[in-house]
Amino acid sequence: MKIKTLQEILKYKSLKKEFAILTDLKNGDSEIFIPNKIIKGEFSKYLDEIEIIYKSNKNGILENDKIFIQTCKNPIKVIIVGAVHIAEYLIDYAKSLNFEIIIIDPRGFFTSKEKFPDTKIINKWPNEAFNEIETNSKTALIALTHDPKIDDPALQYALKNKFFYIGALGSKKTHEKRCLRLIEAGFKNEEIKLINGPVGIKLGGKSPSEIALSIVAQLVSEKYKN
Amino acid sequence: MKNFSEKIIFEKANDWIENNQKVALATVIQTWGSSPLEVGSRMIINENGNFLGSVSGGCVESKVIEECISLIKNNKISQIIDFKVSNENAWEVGLACGGDISIYIEQITQ
Repeated sequence: MKIKTLQEILKYKSLKKEFAILTDLKNGDSEIFIPNKIIKGEFSKYLDEIEIIYKSNKNGILENDKIFIQTCKNPIKVIIVGAVHIAEYLIDYAKSLNFEIIIIDPRGFFTSKEKFPDTKIINKWPNEAFNEIETNSKTALIALTHDPKIDDPALQYALKNKFFYIGALGSKKTHEKRCLRLIEAGFKNEEIKLINGPVGIKLGGKSPSEIALSIVAQLVSEKYKN
Repeated sequence: MKNFSEKIIFEKANDWIENNQKVALATVIQTWGSSPLEVGSRMIINENGNFLGSVSGGCVESKVIEECISLIKNNKISQIIDFKVSNENAWEVGLACGGDISIYIEQITQ
């Protein structure tokens, strides 16, 4: 690989652009593939196959046994509502698991930069905050405030936009009340069932770091379900 | 979807190069059976033998580092190394898990 290619990779990564690295295993050439952009030389002969592998988010050797493709897609975006203690641990775990975290919390005193270094924090109510975030069916939501004023609008947004994972902190009773409010707001039972509440897999722990671990474990298991 | 952020690996490679160190990149390009890491897993190695990332569960890294250093010393562009339980590497650095992996090593060049 040429230094030029390495720097191109770093540039696209920091721009959060999705791409693939193509390597000619026979002569050592490499090139960056971006959909709808012309690629040169030998690689262009296999464009169709490259596009199929890229679209399926896979890495591997093409049928010609000669070209290796590695897709570089953006990490899963995880939106946390509530800059609470559990969120601090979620961020720690997310770093090694390669999730991109965004925190929403309208309560100013929670969202100190000291507690959440290098994390994007949006100090607004969820409905306003979502105007600033690009979301899709690969986005996850974890609601941690258990304050209906803050959590509910975020949960409604996530349900409407079909997030792949939705979790909401709170006991069974809190969750039952939450479900009733969502029914009143016009959501169907099948939709509401998509919310993981009480959130997380059963580990038995009660401390903020243990709860964060149980949430992150559930998030990872959902990521590999499809 | 990588578990270890690739960005960190490429950033480190760039740091080493900026400090005038020669760097090689190792990538898992094919696996058979129960290999420890998925295709696309990466590791970078500099001429002093420092490394970051991984290509197996610690089973073959030492051999990969050795091969990368000799790739740099001999100023070769790239090479494929296969690790199989049945080959001569087995007693030395074979995969205890019983899988086979193919690793592509390449120098990062001007």
